[in-house]
Amino acid sequence: MKKAIGDNMISKAWGFEKGLDLVKQAGFDGIELWLGDVPWFQMSTADSEVRDLRRKIEDAGLVVSNVSTGLHWASPLSSREPKVRAQAMRIVEREIETAVLLGTDAILLVPGLVTAEVPYNEVYQRCLEALRSLGEKAARASVRIGCENCNAEHRFLISPREFWQFLNDVNSPAVGIHLDVGNIHDTGFAEQWIEMHGPRITRIHVKDVMKKRGRCGDQSVYTNLFLGDNNWPAIRGAMTKVGYDGWLVAEMEARYRYAPDQQFYDTARAMDRLIAARL
Amino acid sequence: MGITRRRFLGCAAGAVTMGLPGLPLDLWRPGQASVAVETSPQHGRSGESVSGYESALASLGPRFRCAGASWVSRCAVLIVPAALELPPSAARAIVRCLQAGASVILESGAGFAAGRDFHAHRVVLRDYLQVRVEAPVQLWPAHTSSQGIPYVDYTWPYSAKVRDFSRVVTLGRQPGEVIAWVDGLPVALKRRSGRGTLIFLGSPLGPALWAGDAEARRWLFDVLARQGVAPVDRVRGNL
Repeated sequence: MKKAIGDNMISKAWGFEKGLDLVKQAGFDGIELWLGDVPWFQMSTADSEVRDLRRKIEDAGLVVSNVSTGLHWASPLSSREPKVRAQAMRIVEREIETAVLLGTDAILLVPGLVTAEVPYNEVYQRCLEALRSLGEKAARASVRIGCENCNAEHRFLISPREFWQFLNDVNSPAVGIHLDVGNIHDTGFAEQWIEMHGPRITRIHVKDVMKKRGRCGDQSVYTNLFLGDNNWPAIRGAMTKVGYDGWLVAEMEARYRYAPDQQFYDTARAMDRLIAARL
Repeated sequence: MGITRRRFLGCAAGAVTMGLPGLPLDLWRPGQASVAVETSPQHGRSGESVSGYESALASLGPRFRCAGASWVSRCAVLIVPAALELPPSAARAIVRCLQAGASVILESGAGFAAGRDFHAHRVVLRDYLQVRVEAPVQLWPAHTSSQGIPYVDYTWPYSAKVRDFSRVVTLGRQPGEVIAWVDGLPVALKRRSGRGTLIFLGSPLGPALWAGDAEARRWLFDVLARQGVAPVDRVRGNL
C-alpha cells in the first residue's frame, strides 16, 4: 500500500514546489492533484503546463496517485440545466485527459447532487447515463473513474447497498468507487463499505470523523486520523480481507492552526501505522 | 444528450407501420401504431424527455412508435417531446396531424433555452399553432425561501400533481382551456384545432416519466385513454 496526500493541503503561500518538498520529506509516496481547487491546476491549465507539473512532481521524488476535483459541487452531472451538465462532463473528460498526462490511472468525481429542487430518482437516472458514457471514455484511456461516496453531503447513494446497485447499473469495469472512510459518519461502517465494494475500490480517502458532532458553524465533523470515531482496526482488517493494496490518500478538512507543516508529518506517520496494522 | 443517427433511422423506419387516424382502437391491425412520439433531431432537444415517453409508452407494444417529423401525419396521438427549435417541416406535420383529427401533445423544451432559441420557439408556436407563450419562469429561487415544492397542478383529465422541472414556459391569454397551473401561472393548455386536439405543456412531463414518476405516467395514460389509445385498466393503479 502507498500513501498520498492532496495538493489542496498545500498552502497557497508556500507554492507548489515547496509543497512538494514538504510532502516528500513527510514521507508520502505520491500526491493527489485537485483539478480546479488549486491555482496551479485549473481547467484552463494547458497540456504543456500539466506535463510541467508532472516533471516537478517526479523531480521531487513523488508520483501522482490520482486526479480529483471538487468542481462538481458547483457543476453537478445531475443538473437539470443542459449547459451545466455539459460543463460537468467536460470536467470529467479533462480529469481523464490530465490523468493520462500525469501518468496515473484513476480519477475521482462526485457522482451527483440531490437537492430540494432536483429529486433523487432524477439524479440517479441522470448520473447513470452520464457515467455509462464517461466509463467508455475512461476505458479507452485506461483510466478508472472512482465515484466518491459523499453520503451526507450529496444526499445520494447513502448506503453501501445503494452504491453497489448503482455501480451494477452503470455496469462498466472502468467505473468504481473512490471510497472515503470518513464520509460515512453515523450512517454506517466504513469497514462494511470496503467489504462490499472490494475490487471496485479505485482509491481510499482517509480521514477521521467525529460521528456525534455534526456540522456546526465552522466546526468540522472531520478530524485527523485516530482522533475520531472510525474503527481503524476494523477498517484495516477489511482492506486485508478484500486484498486492497492500492493508494491511501489523506484528505484532511481541518488544518492545523499552528505549524501547518506538522500536519503532513503527523498524517504520514499515522498512515504508516495504519498500513503496518500497528493499531 | 443527443439522438444518434442510428436510433433516429430505426425509429423512422418503424413509423412506416403506423395506422390511419380516427379509427377505433379495435380496428387497428397488429403492427400498426396509434401513438407516435416525434423524435427527429432538434438543436438543444432534451434526450431525457424523449427517453421518458419512449419508456413509458413501451408497454403499448406495436401501437406505439417513435417517428421523424415527416412520418407523423398518420397517427391518433402524436407526442412532441421537448420541442425547442421546431423546424417548419415539423410544425407543418403537426398541423396536418391536427387537421386530420389527431390529438397532439406538444411539450415545450424551452425552459432552459437561451434568448435567441426561445424567441425562435415562440415564433413557431405563434405562427403555426397560434399558441402564445411568455418567457420562461424560474420556480426555485422563490421556493427555496418558502420551502414549498412548486408542483404542476393538472386539472384535466383529472386532478394530478407532478414535479416541476425548475423552469416553466407560461401561457399568454388565448383561446382554449388551461389545464395546469404552477404558482398561479398557467402552464398547460387544451384546445380544439382543426379536427383534432392540441395539448400544449409548458412544463415538461418527459423528464418525470424518465425518472419513473408514477403520477406523471398515470396522467399520460389517462390522456391516452381519453383518446382511445390506451386501455383504461392501465390508467389507475395498474401501471
